[in-house]
Amino acid sequence: MSPPASHRRRSQHLRWPLLFVAILAVHSLAVYLFTRGFLLTRTELDLHSSRDDRPPQGDVSAGCSSWPPPAVDRLVIVVLDALRFDFVAPSTFFPEKHPWMDKLPVLQELAANEKTSARIFKALADPPTTSLQRLKALTTGGLPTFIDVGNSFGAPAIVEDNIMHQLVKNGKRVVMMGDDTWIQLYPEHFNKSFPYPSFNVKDLDTVDNGVIEHLLPSLHKNDWDVLIAHFLGVDHAGHIFGVDSTPMIQKLEQYNQILEGVIDTLRSLSNPGGTHENNLLLVMGDHGQTLNGDHGGGTAEEVETSLFAWSPNTPPDAVLSVLDDSSCNADLNGEEVCISTMQQLDFAATISALLGIPFPFGSIGRVNPELYALSTGTWFNQKMGTDACTSQNDLEAWMSRYAEVLCVNCWQVKRYIDQYSATSVIGFPSEDLQHITNLYSRAQANSSASFRTTCSSEAGSQDKLEGKGSVLPQQIDAYTDFLQTFAKLSRSAWTEFDLWSMGIGLLLMILSVIIQACTLIKLNTICQPSDQKSHSSIIPKFSFAFALVVIRAASFLSNSYILAEGRVAHFLLATSCITGVWYSMVEGKFGVENLVFLLLNIFARFGIEIGMSKQLPAPAITKDHSVSAICKIFGVTSCETLLEIFPIISLAFVAYIVLKCLSQAICQRFLKYFALCATMASYVCIAFHWASETTLFSHAGIVQEFGRSLSPRFVYAIGGLSLVISALYRILGPTDHLRMNQRITILSAIMLCSWSPTILILLGRQGPVVALICMTGAWCIIKSQQRHQRESELSVAEPVLVIQWSLLAVCLFYLTGHWCTFDGLRYGAAFIGFDHFHIIRQGLLLSIDTFGVSHILPILSLPFIAMVWYNTTSKDNKLKDVILNNITQVLFMYGLITAIPATLTIICVTIQRRHLMVWGLFAPKYVFDAIGLLLTDLLICLASLYYN
Amino acid sequence: MPAQVTQISAVTAAAAHVLCLAGLAAAHALAGRGALVSNPALALRLLVVCEAPVVIAVFSYLRRDRKSCSFIKAAARGLIGLPVGALLNAFGAIVLGAPVGIKYWTVTIYWSLLMSLFTFVPAACVFGASKIDWQNVLSHSMYVLDFYFTPTDADNYIISVPCHGAVLGAWLGAWPMPLDWERPWQEWPICVTYGAVAGYLVGMAVSLVLIAVHKRRVRAKSD
Repeated sequence: MSPPASHRRRSQHLRWPLLFVAILAVHSLAVYLFTRGFLLTRTELDLHSSRDDRPPQGDVSAGCSSWPPPAVDRLVIVVLDALRFDFVAPSTFFPEKHPWMDKLPVLQELAANEKTSARIFKALADPPTTSLQRLKALTTGGLPTFIDVGNSFGAPAIVEDNIMHQLVKNGKRVVMMGDDTWIQLYPEHFNKSFPYPSFNVKDLDTVDNGVIEHLLPSLHKNDWDVLIAHFLGVDHAGHIFGVDSTPMIQKLEQYNQILEGVIDTLRSLSNPGGTHENNLLLVMGDHGQTLNGDHGGGTAEEVETSLFAWSPNTPPDAVLSVLDDSSCNADLNGEEVCISTMQQLDFAATISALLGIPFPFGSIGRVNPELYALSTGTWFNQKMGTDACTSQNDLEAWMSRYAEVLCVNCWQVKRYIDQYSATSVIGFPSEDLQHITNLYSRAQANSSASFRTTCSSEAGSQDKLEGKGSVLPQQIDAYTDFLQTFAKLSRSAWTEFDLWSMGIGLLLMILSVIIQACTLIKLNTICQPSDQKSHSSIIPKFSFAFALVVIRAASFLSNSYILAEGRVAHFLLATSCITGVWYSMVEGKFGVENLVFLLLNIFARFGIEIGMSKQLPAPAITKDHSVSAICKIFGVTSCETLLEIFPIISLAFVAYIVLKCLSQAICQRFLKYFALCATMASYVCIAFHWASETTLFSHAGIVQEFGRSLSPRFVYAIGGLSLVISALYRILGPTDHLRMNQRITILSAIMLCSWSPTILILLGRQGPVVALICMTGAWCIIKSQQRHQRESELSVAEPVLVIQWSLLAVCLFYLTGHWCTFDGLRYGAAFIGFDHFHIIRQGLLLSIDTFGVSHILPILSLPFIAMVWYNTTSKDNKLKDVILNNITQVLFMYGLITAIPATLTIICVTIQRRHLMVWGLFAPKYVFDAIGLLLTDLLICLASLYYN
Repeated sequence: MPAQVTQISAVTAAAAHVLCLAGLAAAHALAGRGALVSNPALALRLLVVCEAPVVIAVFSYLRRDRKSCSFIKAAARGLIGLPVGALLNAFGAIVLGAPVGIKYWTVTIYWSLLMSLFTFVPAACVFGASKIDWQNVLSHSMYVLDFYFTPTDADNYIISVPCHGAVLGAWLGAWPMPLDWERPWQEWPICVTYGAVAGYLVGMAVSLVLIAVHKRRVRAKSD
């Protein structure tokens, strides 16, 4: 009637993994299509401006004829990475004074005492606020695209036109020192460079010391026109210690000293008549950072950085009427300090105008009037066509010069718009484009009028002068209006979504989910002998499980719930636990595992709160409120000792449990001893690594070196070795004399024991606690499954338990201090055991840390829920079939549970693609979910092969 | 035995619900409009103080075993049940993620007392320590939809449906909390309380409907 069992099994052997591979393929295709449509943003034009470019001398743009003349001879740019606005601005500008404020007093004093030549700006960056994107935006004057975030690790050279390119082409010599990202972006643009590696976040000083060594000597030399010094200490201090920390304050104080030195040197060099008369010093941040030291998103703290400009020679007092004096405040000494606001987008255009080089082709910024006015050169070098009008006062001369610059600026931006609309597949909306064109022609039409008035008045009659006085500002306003409107348009509409590709990807995803769901239902009916009793009890459970998944998935439609995803997942997990308790009370059998699970939920919940507030950078558990309260009671030193020792003690506890489980689970002698030895060695290494990092013991150098770098590598090596052995055992190992249950147990036990030490050491000191939570949760769920099997006498896995498993995994992701943005990656984990950056090695470690506890471990340990604990059939052969079916079913369910929220994320991203937070929140969430989905599919494939 | 147990008529059930509603209304009137948002501790305290005597009195009067148990005894059971139920409710809330800071302690206590009045106290007054009845009440959540199949003990609806309504309402009421609307009522436990009260009111209405339908069915069957 039916084919023989062995034959059927063989065909199933291949059928299910193939199905999973098919799912993986469909999901990959869907994600690929969607990503191509969604993250494809801006067509980069590889056109370059050149010195000979001229606005056509037609009737419309007759106002200006050539690129602006240079106003600055030498430019010193000091970039302080992740410079928050409140590091520079006086604390009186903020409602509350914090310890990290007012640590750069030299800038504040200059801004207060030399109002006409020094100025503090609040510079507003555009997200994504990662260093590479910012450097690119600063030099090209464009808007960064999101896809570049992915390139941030291996920075590619910039192909678009940029300031560096223009500098080199126009014979300016550039010296760079500091962050080696510059070298990656501009491999051939510097005359001289002193790059230092930037990726080791733990290292606060190497880059800075290198810059300090070369900065002052270089200032005295004559072999450069533009000097760039990029300090990284503040960024790294923020990443490791947070803003409110002693290292951060020490860094800022160090910078204050350096800046004093730089300013003194420049002052001494810029004697009137000297070669370096027209110097300009810019001290600027590329982006801000949050109090935890993160950046990448679009929140005010990350976007607001500062720019300080100072020219050693003082421009005439008329500059004060250009500078905005709307936000002035007394500083600590009672002097008045004024602060202006500028867009970082305008930086490239302004610098080009100051240095007298052609604006980068793709720059869409506006020459900032205040920064332009601060440079003395813009006030005196009046050698332009306006010399006919000698009777102008300083301000009018400057304004007419600025108007000319803006005229060129507008022409250049318009040229870019036209070129862009012509070449790019999807340009700007045509009505917006029409509006922009109207603004442009209005401005240029005015311009011919205004420039004529400027120069025609030989007689200089009073009314003509008056007329001109109002015409010029009007003209500037018209240009500004055009430029700002276009900047706004490009900000809102730049991201070029390929809606077709996105739609097809989305459709494919939805289809695959529907097919998955149908297959699951079918699978269920095949596996399940359909008797009435089981049927009636399984429907409410399925619908409850389905409701949980759908609620969680639907919550992704709102940005608030995405931010609170960890809490939402925990809420649902707790709900399912409480329902479980409820159910068992109705049945009248209350198991202890229900209570333990509830208690575990409380722990998990506090863990998530701590993890999500990210107040748990490696050693600083003390920041947590409750712990610090306990610390106050016991005294600081003993508390710190306790905190250093506690992870090691809990690690010993974890090791004890793991060893005990292993010795029970594995019955094969060789494997058992191998697993025990490997685990023991790994845990000793982990403990040794942590002990060597504490300050409690004074170690000899070699011991410390071994603990710091060798022992983690040892752990990774053991992990790799056991992975190989488990694979070999799966392929070559004896299968026949073992019962299926034992076989699966052995397989999953060695699989888990090869992964867990690596993940544990990457998690850092929170690891043992997380491991305990993991194991307790797994124990509770497995116990529930056993009870469920015993009671229903069915061997099928309960869907609610699978959901709980997946919700627990999500909780663990947040509990371990991750979250779905790129600054939520724990970069420090990538450097455990290694000091130097290597893209593959560190990338691998980082992904194991990110997905280890939330994807790898849960999926590989899924067979535990699928196990048949209470044998209802006597035949072993039948049991084997049942177990294999169960495993497939559980893996299938897990895949579906991951796919449904991922689909909803994709839908949400599609809906919200014009949302303010799309790059800060939705896109990272999408990237994490897409990677998580593909990883889940892949792991499910592997697991179904491995456990088959 | 169901035969010995005095059946509660639909009118009695309606009267009981009206009394409970009156307790809530009185608290609302005393606290004033919007007091739950401006001063949650005070409003919750008033709610508990007004509702507690009403609920205990009403459900002690409706006690199941009239013969063996006096009104005073039932009321005492309710009084004991009040803190026990509050403890359970508070535990559940904390498991689900209710904040536990010192500034939340008082409101959490009052809120859990109120939840206890909605859920635990009525059952404690009516059933005492009868395990089967408790299980029946609990199981109504499982089979509330197929009540056509479980025609026994329709009186349990008067307790179980509002109780489940309150719990479900509180659960749903927690959902707006993470939203970034920055409204004062998103604070713990204000919206949860709103949800619980709303769920309780809906539960009362539904229980009345269920009892009425059930009585009619029983009467039709006996005819």
